[in-house]
Amino acid sequence: MALFPIHSNFERDFVIQLVPVDTDDTMDQVAEKCAHHSLNRRVKPQPGKILRVRRHCDGEIFPRDMTVASAGLRPTETLDIIFSDN
Amino acid sequence: MAKLKREEWYDLTRATNWTPKYVTEEELFPEEMSGSRGIPAEVWETYDEPYKVVYSEYVETQREKDAGAYSVKAALERSQYVENADPGWVSTMVAHYGAIPLAEYAASTAEARMARFAKAPGNRNMAVFGMMDENRHGQIQLYFPHAYTKLSRQWDWASKAYHTNEWAAIAARSFFDDAMMTRDSVAVSIMLTFAFETGFTNMQFLGLAADAAQAGDHTFASLISSIQTDESRHAQQGGPSLKILIANGKKEEAQTMVDAAIWRAWKLFSALTGPAMDYYTPMEHRSQSFKEFMEEWIIAQFERQLIDLGLDKPWYWDILIRDLDITHHGMHMGIWYWRPTVWWNPAAGFGPKEREWLEEKYPGWNETFGECADVIVDNLLNGRPELTGPETLPTVCNMCQLPIVGVPGSKWDVKDYQLEYEGRLYHFGSEVDKWCFEIDPERYKGHLNFIDRFLAGHVQPPDLMGGLQYMGLAPGEMGDDAHGYEWVKAYSQPKTDAA
Ligand SMILES: [Fe+2]
Ligand SMILES: [Fe+2]
Repeated sequence: MALFPIHSNFERDFVIQLVPVDTDDTMDQVAEKCAHHSLNRRVKPQPGKILRVRRHCDGEIFPRDMTVASAGLRPTETLDIIFSDN
Repeated sequence: MAKLKREEWYDLTRATNWTPKYVTEEELFPEEMSGSRGIPAEVWETYDEPYKVVYSEYVETQREKDAGAYSVKAALERSQYVENADPGWVSTMVAHYGAIPLAEYAASTAEARMARFAKAPGNRNMAVFGMMDENRHGQIQLYFPHAYTKLSRQWDWASKAYHTNEWAAIAARSFFDDAMMTRDSVAVSIMLTFAFETGFTNMQFLGLAADAAQAGDHTFASLISSIQTDESRHAQQGGPSLKILIANGKKEEAQTMVDAAIWRAWKLFSALTGPAMDYYTPMEHRSQSFKEFMEEWIIAQFERQLIDLGLDKPWYWDILIRDLDITHHGMHMGIWYWRPTVWWNPAAGFGPKEREWLEEKYPGWNETFGECADVIVDNLLNGRPELTGPETLPTVCNMCQLPIVGVPGSKWDVKDYQLEYEGRLYHFGSEVDKWCFEIDPERYKGHLNFIDRFLAGHVQPPDLMGGLQYMGLAPGEMGDDAHGYEWVKAYSQPKTDAA
């Protein structure tokens, strides 16, 4: 496990933010760490929806249990955190 | 003693040039300082500045200007304007004084570069006056805020800001270093005087002077109008340079310099002037919205001037026009949210009444930026102030050094323009910021923005307190809500003015 900085582009927020995650984190954990800095601060929760992680540059949505280490991310790469039905 | 009439000697003296005997022309005017771009000295001698002045006239006028501004200050000192002014307006002044005076001093050395190294004699002549102008602007804008340092240490940032690594200071330095401190004299005449001063100092100085007069701040209004009359004179040094470049096959290079400087200036102003005009200045004292000022001073005026000179509109003009509805709102919300990281107290400016104004000036504000404001207000009303402040850093653009922002809420559209260059991943807040980098990657690639510095371990301890320390923000200097959150109360009161 190692600290891994990413940039979080959280759906409905106005700004992108630096969020340190861990290479062992799953995408669900990444979404949760990003949510901490946006949700209920400047973004209203959306009951019934879950958060998914998407690569900002090409729109690839990562499986929820995929780890940061296996997603082939570049350090400081920007990720979209989006509200989703599934 | 009989004096020659002005017109009998003026043209001869202003265009005086000489043939060097002891050194070569290349030694006298090194290319990296002069930037003559292979255009011969005879052509530069045709440089024709539209505004002509001689030293004795200059001194007389400047003396009157100084006497005017200083006497207004002295006369109004006892009225204790600042002590009683709306805190939002005070923030506008504190932000202005931190961001401007030392950049004026720096501009004096940029003018000095033209005064010494321009191959055009007319440019050298004008730049001597420009150099003295900027020295005056630095001094007078340090002297005026000094009177208020007894009220708050934030006023001291007039002399302090540029000597720190506070993020807005890094952004301002990045732009001014790029456009005026590290360029040859022709590029300075174009990027500083034409692109920046023609449009943007008008915005800052005429725009804010109008707001200041409305707010009853006659000291500030007279000070900055006095500065603006200098700016509108020495801003005219770039036009004749552009004419020479265009006539000698250098249009493309000239256009690139203009385009890059206008964009970089716009970004800086979106963070410094936009919030002041649309959020800090009390609503009843706002003469125009930031967007209206931009449309008048930048969009309409520049377009006309560029076309008149034989240049084109910048390729990104449509992007700029679109961003007039977006960028400065994002910058404002970011500055307010990260308020401990600035040297002034940002006014939130989104109480119920202000939101009506914002919605009128920027249709759709409520369903975009307003959605973020709703959550902030809800947290303040319900005892969760800790959620209205930051626990991490905003992502910062590798060109403008400002947060990467976009449209929030129901029309969410926030983009990071990423670029991998020589193995390093760069982040840009817009396609145009990325384009500025790509013009000359060698020039920019080594610079570390605030995030890069944080990740490289420059900020210790690596948290908010370490960050504030790195930025030089001591207690009593770091910002907080200008009105002490009083504006939130308007949200909890039942609406009584409903028809
Ligand atoms: Fe100036
Ligand atoms: Fe100037």
